[in-house]
Amino acid sequence: MPAKTEKQLTRKKNPKFSSMALISSLPQFPDTRISLRLFHNVSNASEIRSKVAQLPYAIIDARSICSLEQVYSAIYRALVESKYGKLKTKSLHSECLYSLSATSNIGEAYKNFGIKDDSQMLLVIQIVDKDQQDLQLQGDEVPLNDENLSQNCDMTFIRKIYKLNEFHSTSTIEISRAVVNCIQLRGL
Amino acid sequence: MSEEIVSRVSNYLTPQVPFKAIAQGAEAVVFTTNVHPYLPAKDSNNKTYVIKYRPPKRYRHPSIDRSLTKHRTLSESRLLAKLFLIPGLKVPQLIACDAYNGYIWIEFLGEDLPNDAGFSNLKNFLWMFAPSDPYDPIVKETLIKVGEQIGLLHWNDYCHGDLTSSNIVLVREGPESWQPYLIDFGLGSTSNMVEDKGVDLYVLERAIVSTHSLFADTYKEWLMHGFCQVYKNNGAEGEKKLKEVLNRFQEVRMRGRKRSMIG
Ligand SMILES: Nc1ncnc2c1ncn2[C@@H]1O[C@H](COP(=O)(O)OP(=O)(O)OP(=O)(O)O)[C@@H](O)[C@H]1O
Repeated sequence: MPAKTEKQLTRKKNPKFSSMALISSLPQFPDTRISLRLFHNVSNASEIRSKVAQLPYAIIDARSICSLEQVYSAIYRALVESKYGKLKTKSLHSECLYSLSATSNIGEAYKNFGIKDDSQMLLVIQIVDKDQQDLQLQGDEVPLNDENLSQNCDMTFIRKIYKLNEFHSTSTIEISRAVVNCIQLRGL
Repeated sequence: MSEEIVSRVSNYLTPQVPFKAIAQGAEAVVFTTNVHPYLPAKDSNNKTYVIKYRPPKRYRHPSIDRSLTKHRTLSESRLLAKLFLIPGLKVPQLIACDAYNGYIWIEFLGEDLPNDAGFSNLKNFLWMFAPSDPYDPIVKETLIKVGEQIGLLHWNDYCHGDLTSSNIVLVREGPESWQPYLIDFGLGSTSNMVEDKGVDLYVLERAIVSTHSLFADTYKEWLMHGFCQVYKNNGAEGEKKLKEVLNRFQEVRMRGRKRSMIG
């Protein structure tokens, strides 16, 4: 319970924290704060994309995201790899994006999960212990939850990138679980 | 359980993840916790998760030990991931895998049986019915389903490697209905070899004969009914492969008998 009060306080103190953001930390990494925000109708993706390398975020095209479980599972993997000195990319943020991928090819990970010039839905991951910077992203921030992810994602594309074309189930829950398996085992 | 293992695990998990040991095998230690490694608490309230940990073995060279741990942790996780994709096959969901450190998180299955009959694995389940109603229709239905699970596993060319009646967990699906799940794929493999399948069947048969000898013939019949059905549903190809598996099962059984007569 105290943890919750603390989170609410942080939110109030810092006006830049949108109330729609999901802010949390994972049990094994209590000092690492994870902020997740979801934007629809993004109109300046190409501008964001041009400077994405300098931004302290992982910016994900939400078309490839069907559940919170998928996102958190990848972040968990990135944090574990970071803690034990196994990062495959240059930062924790890029590792989060890479961790979403089903293959070990970093270029492919960016192609499948990175922001594109015409991206309209973006999931912004920030892993920090300091305050969030201004994003200057133009779009509508919407609550980040499973409904907003699953109803707008591109299931056909997700099946393709995780090689689940043959998978018998059409339920998002089941697909999400199969995706988690791919995330946990990529490249090992 | 050794103090050293407990302190290692508690360091790894941090105080945010309280855990409880439930089993110690030759190779792995199994814990439960109510904390999900990454899902927000509200989505995972009151659920239990299994953490399977392979501690380092001091008698092995450290670098060999690390690579063996990684290999085995991964092999079990990969198998769970592949089996999850097979329609109808029931295995626990893999939640996380940290192969470097030897940790796997999986979904906890099963429950405590009524009247202190223990955890709902197949062994305890059969014990529960033995005194009153060993041939209860629920027992029959459940054993047929167990046979189906093994049939699905083998038909898809996977083997379990340690198919005892404690490695089959029953998940309640209704007041009178249980769905068997196969657990512990630590010794599992992809295999199209009839030998491995014959051995799986033999191991389970021995487990049932040794704990429930009075009813074993009927139990085996129900199991094999479910098993064969899966193969028979696959046409001529299925019938052919079924014959091969059953023949080898018989051979393994004969070998086992000879061995026990000599030894
Ligand atoms: N997913 C699960 N749900 C519920 N209980 C489980 C699960 N996985 C393991 N257990 C419990 O823990 C015990 C040991 O687990 P498991 O068989 O995977 O470990 P092991 O070290 O390989 O054991 P053994 O060598 O004795 O077969 C099981 O018999 C079961 O009671």
